[in-house]
Amino acid sequence: MAILRDSVTQPEANIGKAFSDTACNSRGTPRTRVNQLLHSNPNLWRGCDMAGQGFHGVATGYRELDDILPGRGWPRSGLVEVIARHSGMGELQLLIPLMQSVIKQGKWILWVAPPYLLNAPALTQAGIDIDQILIVKQDTPCKDALWSMEKAMQTENCGLVLAWQNWLPGKVLRRLQLAAEAGDTLAVLFKHNDSKYSPSPLRLQIRASATDNRDFSRAEVTVIKARGNFRPLSAQFSLYPESLSA
Amino acid sequence: MEDLDNSAQKPVATAGSRKSGVLKLPLANRCGPDKQPCSNDEGNKNPAKSRSRRQSLWYALYFPQLSELSESQQTQILTELAGLAENVSATVSFHSQALVCEIRSSLRYFGGIDNIHSKLQSLIVPALQNRSLGDSFLYAASPTVSGSLLLARSGHNALVYQKENLRSALGKLSVDVLDLQKEQRRRLHSMGVRKIRDIWRLPTEGLHKRFGSNFVNSLSKAVGKSPEPTRNYIPSPEFSASYDLAYEVENLHYLLPVIDEILIKLRDFLIQRDLSTSRLQLSMIHEKRSRTEIDIGLRQATRQRDHLLLLIETHFAQLAVPAPVVGLELEVRQFDAFLSESDALLTEEQIGHGSKINSKNLDQFMEQLHARLGDDALKSINTVAEHCPEYATQQLNYTDRKATGKPAEVARNLRPFWLLDRPVQLTLRNGRLYHNQAINLISGPERIETSWWSGQEIRRDYYIAREQNGSRLWIFRERLEERQWYLHGYFS
Repeated sequence: MAILRDSVTQPEANIGKAFSDTACNSRGTPRTRVNQLLHSNPNLWRGCDMAGQGFHGVATGYRELDDILPGRGWPRSGLVEVIARHSGMGELQLLIPLMQSVIKQGKWILWVAPPYLLNAPALTQAGIDIDQILIVKQDTPCKDALWSMEKAMQTENCGLVLAWQNWLPGKVLRRLQLAAEAGDTLAVLFKHNDSKYSPSPLRLQIRASATDNRDFSRAEVTVIKARGNFRPLSAQFSLYPESLSA
Repeated sequence: MEDLDNSAQKPVATAGSRKSGVLKLPLANRCGPDKQPCSNDEGNKNPAKSRSRRQSLWYALYFPQLSELSESQQTQILTELAGLAENVSATVSFHSQALVCEIRSSLRYFGGIDNIHSKLQSLIVPALQNRSLGDSFLYAASPTVSGSLLLARSGHNALVYQKENLRSALGKLSVDVLDLQKEQRRRLHSMGVRKIRDIWRLPTEGLHKRFGSNFVNSLSKAVGKSPEPTRNYIPSPEFSASYDLAYEVENLHYLLPVIDEILIKLRDFLIQRDLSTSRLQLSMIHEKRSRTEIDIGLRQATRQRDHLLLLIETHFAQLAVPAPVVGLELEVRQFDAFLSESDALLTEEQIGHGSKINSKNLDQFMEQLHARLGDDALKSINTVAEHCPEYATQQLNYTDRKATGKPAEVARNLRPFWLLDRPVQLTLRNGRLYHNQAINLISGPERIETSWWSGQEIRRDYYIAREQNGSRLWIFRERLEERQWYLHGYFS
């Protein structure tokens, strides 16, 4: 089975060309033809190879989440969109293990224009060294916020860039994605709404666990889109360690 | 000060013109009854040799009024005065409550020591009056630094041109002018020593034994028998460069090559003096308008041209000039010592994961952010040992950040990541709480009562709650007056 990896970044004309090339040149069994096609176009690969993609991600700290992410973890670089319809869904708690590992590497975390006041005792409780936290203030204009995101991703000392922007055009997202890949940095964009055509390679939605609303700790995470994934997956798990859950 | 001696015009002493004088002191034409002959004697027999070894003449300015001030004030005043003394001499050195400048080399230029003295007086007296430190100072000139200082301290305002006369001139002085400890002073007194001359009559070995070699050394320095290292005044560096453009420029990016040129000059200047800079001011000059000024502050002092250029470019992106630019000026506001960085012997992978990444890139990044967003855009946070949740976090400007050793102790109970600027009141309908949707309490209460001493008492019961849509909330109920419910934060 061959599937299209990323329809947005690669124009479709390319694929059509690949098909016609192979159709003209190749003789032999369909299987060799397919192999040839897969070789000639890097945007095509076998879906059954999914499992063999290895463990190249950064462990999220939640086993259930690792299972549904390609590469079994957060990507090492690039743009991740986390969609939480309301504040307080546990979207930051989801990233706490990642933040801990970033801090441990001696890198900084840049918070670009967070929507509320960041509560330092909460971070200390979560085991994050607040000395390596840097905040770009709340009412920064969008243009400046994006500029500082891009600059931060180009700096090797920033290990993680967090931003809160709801409506960004695809062009801007693409640019951020490129900056993140070039700077080998992970950027997380928190949104209230999902936009179907977003080019970010990984989009997650976090919501309250449907089964029990009175349980403080449980959350449900759905992978809306992941490069290298071919169907939405979701997992339910507990965000807080036992000792902390109320 | 009268000038009896004409060797001022002929600084080189020859055997014939050695009728030199001590002003306001009895003249001494020959060397005193010495155990050693004057060190200059052989030199003077050979004119060529003595010409090559020019004696210097040191002019000492002694300010007894400084003794009442603190040490730092003294240094400050002396530095200021040294700047003035630089008008007559290239070498100005610092001493306790005194300055000494070399004036032999400037005698011919100023036309005699009288002119030098009156020039110094006209410069220094107003400066002293400004600081209400009286209007006089003591002075003396002689061929040795310590000799001049001693003569000045004695208040004789003497001038000694030749080294060989120095000994007798100093001999007349009371031992009180020597910088001695109380015990040494007492001992000298009980030995019957009143004048410096009396000391010279004593055997050197015994002096060494009784008063230590420092004492003997300082005396032999005064007569020019041992070298006198001094701490000289080095004027603080100044850099300002300007450039007049041939035509008016409106697009600021066209200025960058010119700025680059100035920055090259700046870099060379800094390298020569082994300095770096942490504050610059770039002014753009307009016709018939006041200039546009950009202040460039750096987190870490640098002399890197490309970094400075990048910062200026970032500033330009935000800047709108009111009129075309006709000239540029760059001025350094603060100089810093240059600290070079050494590279690690091993590359990062070899050191391992625990290593800290070099902070230079980070600082450059911060500076860029500052340049674009303004100084108060970057914040860092800090915990404060405080029960009241809104005061437990401190947001500081990144520049004011202090290196805090240990973070303050924080609450044991779970705290939310987000706090609202001000708590939002919740509505209570039919016994149920509502924000956007109905709220269920999950745990609590956690009682916080504090600040009763300040008049703004805080008495709250905090609960962890969950809204119908799944939001985790941190809410509290006032325990005062109306007992209202408020939303205070989100467990994001």
